[in-house]
Amino acid sequence: MIQDLVVYAVFIGYAIGVLMTFGLVLTWVERKQAAVMSDRIGANRAYLRIPFTNVKLVWWGLFHGLADGIKMILKEDFKPRTYDWYAYAVAPWVAFTPVLLVFAVIPFGGTLEPARLIPPLADWFGDRTYPMQIARLDAGLLIVFAFGGMTIIGAMLAGWSSSNKFSLLGALRAGSQMISYELVMGLTVLGLVLIYGTVDLGDIVKQQSGIILGILPAWGVFLQPFAATLFMAAAIAENKRIPFDLPEAESELIAGYFTEYSAMKMGLFMFAEFIEIAIIGALFTTLFLGGYNLPFMNDAGFVFPGNHVVELPYVLVFVIQLVTFLVKVFLMCSFQILVRWSLPRFRYDQVLRFAWKFMLPLALANLTVTAVAVWLLRSVNA
Amino acid sequence: MIETLLANLDTLLLYLFAACALVGAVLMLILPQPMRVALALISTMVFLGGVYGLLGVHFIAAFQVLVYVGAVMVFMVYAIMLLDVRDSAYKRTYSKLVMPGIAAGALFFAALAFGLWKALPDSAGSAATPAAGTFGLQQFAVAFLSEYWLHFELTSVLLVAAVVAALAVIKVSAASGAQSPLGTRAERKGGSDRG
Repeated sequence: MIQDLVVYAVFIGYAIGVLMTFGLVLTWVERKQAAVMSDRIGANRAYLRIPFTNVKLVWWGLFHGLADGIKMILKEDFKPRTYDWYAYAVAPWVAFTPVLLVFAVIPFGGTLEPARLIPPLADWFGDRTYPMQIARLDAGLLIVFAFGGMTIIGAMLAGWSSSNKFSLLGALRAGSQMISYELVMGLTVLGLVLIYGTVDLGDIVKQQSGIILGILPAWGVFLQPFAATLFMAAAIAENKRIPFDLPEAESELIAGYFTEYSAMKMGLFMFAEFIEIAIIGALFTTLFLGGYNLPFMNDAGFVFPGNHVVELPYVLVFVIQLVTFLVKVFLMCSFQILVRWSLPRFRYDQVLRFAWKFMLPLALANLTVTAVAVWLLRSVNA
Repeated sequence: MIETLLANLDTLLLYLFAACALVGAVLMLILPQPMRVALALISTMVFLGGVYGLLGVHFIAAFQVLVYVGAVMVFMVYAIMLLDVRDSAYKRTYSKLVMPGIAAGALFFAALAFGLWKALPDSAGSAATPAAGTFGLQQFAVAFLSEYWLHFELTSVLLVAAVVAALAVIKVSAASGAQSPLGTRAERKGGSDRG
């Protein structure tokens, strides 16, 4: 009983730590990657000085995220005269909390067997095993969408309660855009659910260890390439980033729905956006890129095409899975930042037309083709 | 100490969530501002989802949050945001019938509690223990699509009827020259000046 508590406390601590680190580091990555892409030097000044020495840890400016965070906390917390101070105060949290909660169902590693990982504690833990996931639920994917839908309310509440026309317009845009793209996002994933036959994310990752067509790993991106592209586009739109950042288009709306927010309240909106980049990366990794496994890998080792089996010791598998997940998530985050600095912003009518007249029909077509293909394959095999 | 706490954690959280859901429901009834009413309703829905989750039916909890918060309440908040409901006329809180209403409500609640109390089995002490999570998503899907699909489809017919009825009400009041049920925009805005 207490062992379970300890393990899950460690899981939750790890998840929060990873997300916060991603949030902080991505603020720097976004600027640095933009600089590299446009042949500039970029953020490189903030450093940590080790106390009582002159050793400065610059590390290419990696600590800019920390400096930003401290600045946000120390700034004046400006309070506008709002109609509804309660909604105004609660809105950043409504936008921020669900983003963190989504990570609860995402598996970030294989199976944890404390007795084999830490031999001195073998007696205490016995033969307990834990899937490395905060909540192993059979409704995993549904919970992702349930919490994902709640962030809309935060954005609309913020814009509405600010008593500012720009904020209200931003909230209006955020609401309609997020509702539209959430629909597309849900429909694209349905094809994948049809193939895997489950919405349990841990199970989905396990099924991607196999081999298809003799040589390819059974990753979602090979089974559903269309859905992967549509999912990524819809997810970026859901996160309100360029080219879909109309709710906060600074040339038209100042900062959109969070114009009237300052200091850490504004920081929460920003932080939520950057953490959502990491969450989208983690979701894409889990659904389409084999999750925490390398290609052809499972909990015991590798099974390469042609049935070459390579067994690996447990500790090595454990470490490889943890690291693989983080690396994949980071690469997907970097890809999203690449998109953000490559594409110009849509016009607002184009954003909604793109969702309803282009992506929705494509998602439906993808779903239909997948359903027919799955049905044909099942009836051939049966 | 910790062992007993952990063993009873489910029950503890269940009562906590149920209490929070009740508080949210009461707030929804007594708050005057539309947006706060919506927020109270959202919190009630989320806590009800928590109750379902603790009872071992996680997908019902997910549906509860997905449908009621992610869809229904999002549209309500959207509508409240679009309607300019910052007028002080909305602060007239209760009608004259509030006392009879409360009395009738208490009576109804008492009858309900009495009925439930009678229906409980004799060993009612363990009523709150969570059911074992045997009823998974798969059983639900099979039962839903084989036994209950007709009921589900009939519900959607009812919803269409409700939409048509709402449209008819608006058409009738517009045709008779009366104001729409929500009043005109200028009237609602009144003399309030906002930013």
